[in-house]
Amino acid sequence: MNRHVNPEDSDLYALGALDGAEMQELEAHVRTCAQCAGEIDAARQRVALLGMAAPAVAPPARVKEALLRQVRAERIPEAHRAGVAKAERTDSGSRALRFAWLTPVFGVAAVIFAALAAGIWMKDSRDNRRIHELEGQLALAQTRSLEIARAADETDKLLGTPGTMRVALEQQAGWTSGRAGVLYNAKMGMVACSGWLPAPPEGKSYQLWLVPMEGKPVPLQVLSGGEWTQTLTAHVTPGMAAKAFAVTVEPKGGMPWPTGPKVLVGGVSQGE
Amino acid sequence: MTAPLQQVQDSSLVERIMAGDENALAALYDRYAGMLFAMLVRILRDASAAEEVLQDLFLQLWRGASRFDASRGSMAAWLLVIGRNRALSRLRGKERHEILADSEEFSIEAVPSPGNLENDAARAQLMQRLQGAMAALPSEQREAVELAYFEGMTQTEIAARVGCPLGTVKSRVRAAMQTLKQVFDDESTRQPGRL
Repeated sequence: MNRHVNPEDSDLYALGALDGAEMQELEAHVRTCAQCAGEIDAARQRVALLGMAAPAVAPPARVKEALLRQVRAERIPEAHRAGVAKAERTDSGSRALRFAWLTPVFGVAAVIFAALAAGIWMKDSRDNRRIHELEGQLALAQTRSLEIARAADETDKLLGTPGTMRVALEQQAGWTSGRAGVLYNAKMGMVACSGWLPAPPEGKSYQLWLVPMEGKPVPLQVLSGGEWTQTLTAHVTPGMAAKAFAVTVEPKGGMPWPTGPKVLVGGVSQGE
Repeated sequence: MTAPLQQVQDSSLVERIMAGDENALAALYDRYAGMLFAMLVRILRDASAAEEVLQDLFLQLWRGASRFDASRGSMAAWLLVIGRNRALSRLRGKERHEILADSEEFSIEAVPSPGNLENDAARAQLMQRLQGAMAALPSEQREAVELAYFEGMTQTEIAARVGCPLGTVKSRVRAAMQTLKQVFDDESTRQPGRL
């Protein structure tokens, strides 16, 4: 590659979105071209900070506590630990004979103490685990609520724009439950979908598709199923005429084209 | 009289970490953990996994602070790049030990960044402006950038996901990044001499 790097490729490279061969070609050129290396650096600056576009979510306090505990543990020098162990061994050896008669008493006390400590520890452990779970759920809920708010804004926009069509998706033979509705505005290239589906089969996901008048189905959203009732939005190339919308069962995470059975289908009335 | 750690520059905190000062690590954590955690949760969609990556990230900083060169870039961008790489590796199913064993990751070229991101107010302002700019992007541009950044998709994968030609994906990313570049340029102008 002797020509300079296309600015579009700088951004895609910095995002890690270039495919293998293109990436290698670009890297080979940048190694010998200071001008393009500068372009790539500038793109990396911009891209690095895109992470700041995620709405802030505070980590639970226990992460910092665990980090500092681990750091402190690593700070205890090995030599010091070895020295302590040696002193403990020497000291205990000299006292062993003098206090031998206390051994059974301490033994019983130790068993009682251990049982009490284990009980308290198990309760604390259960409580901490529960707190851990709740904090995790809270962080996820914060993220989801921001996404739901965005989807709600986009749905409002769809509903308020002329040309938005409503499509009801009907259950297909062999599926006993589930329903969904789609709002689609071809001019905006925007889709909103809400509904309910039972939990997907093990290792599978539901996936929503737009079936265009011409060409292959366009993947829109991977749906979790189960308690899916909130509105999800997706975007397609503006101006795409839709023939139908469908939900299929696909391998977990979704596919670029439909491979599984149809669960819900809704045809677009051509009058719309 | 010494300044409170909250006001100490990243480079000085890194020096203190190298000298074994855990309070300096705690100060850097307080400064950047919120920003990083938000990104990690967004990528991983799993708060427990995000916590684990966050903790590992700062632990690696503690163990390898000497690898950070403040003259070559900002701590914020450095942490974001490494945090994103780790989260995406995890998302793609790499084994945990593969990620943690990758000590060379901390030798990556430093990433310069606009503005003084060590300052809480400036960082919050940039975050707000970035979020505003992202929200204002045409939806298809935003989607392309988000799929690449937060889901680690290549342009081919994005094209397949959104059902449009490869060239269109490139143009969308290009247009989005041009808009976002304006945010960074404005931020640099607001804070002259802080680059």
